[in-house]
Amino acid sequence: MGKPAISGNSITVPSDLKYLVDVDNFVEGLLREWGLDESTVADIAISVSELVNNAVEHGNDPPAGGDGERLVKVTVGRLANTVKVSVSDRGHGFDPTEIDDPLADENLLKAAGRGIFIVRNLMDEVDIKTTPDGTVVTITKNL
Amino acid sequence: MKLSDREQDGVVILEPKGKIMGGPDASLLHEKLHECIELDKKRIVIDLSGVDWMNSTGLGILISSYTTLRNNGGMLKLANVTDKIQSLLTITKLVTVFEAYDSVDDAIASFE
Repeated sequence: MGKPAISGNSITVPSDLKYLVDVDNFVEGLLREWGLDESTVADIAISVSELVNNAVEHGNDPPAGGDGERLVKVTVGRLANTVKVSVSDRGHGFDPTEIDDPLADENLLKAAGRGIFIVRNLMDEVDIKTTPDGTVVTITKNL
Repeated sequence: MKLSDREQDGVVILEPKGKIMGGPDASLLHEKLHECIELDKKRIVIDLSGVDWMNSTGLGILISSYTTLRNNGGMLKLANVTDKIQSLLTITKLVTVFEAYDSVDDAIASFE
């Protein structure tokens, strides 16, 4: 697979940051179709971009389960009062408790290390699951 | 993201537009900032009025540029910070790091 593939409410892209724009266009397009306000659209879009960045940068090297193609899949779902987005990769996951506190004085001027922190602040729930097939992060935004 | 730049009163004003989310677009801003530093243009204002949102990658670019400039006797300042970006600066405590102004002119005047 050399380009983004869309199926229903999901988009699957090769593990490369150049496809971030495709993911963002897809996700924001769906959210606007559903009539979400622009601030909520931005909060979800920022969070998805963080998770896709993480998946590409850390989640697929080396891929779990062998030498298969490195892909990132994003699925967006709308319930009555919530939006859920899952971002899955084929990596071995990470321990969120091992991430440095980005608010600590010694970390404040570090260029990286804020992604999950920002997601946790913008979303109402963040669930991280690692299986032998890879890692799935599901975020929930209450409407 | 698109990026334009201009110079006024010895200050470089960078004007990114769109979203700063990582990938090739973010590299554009990063490279432009470092090009300014290499050309000894060390007074820089980033006009954020045209930026819909940025993520931690965008914040990281601002921070690395801020520290590089500061360590070389320069300064990076922000202008026209939108509500969404202001919110990110607040929750990450970076609001305590960056000088931000309501207009590009105010940011330029602050260098005097």
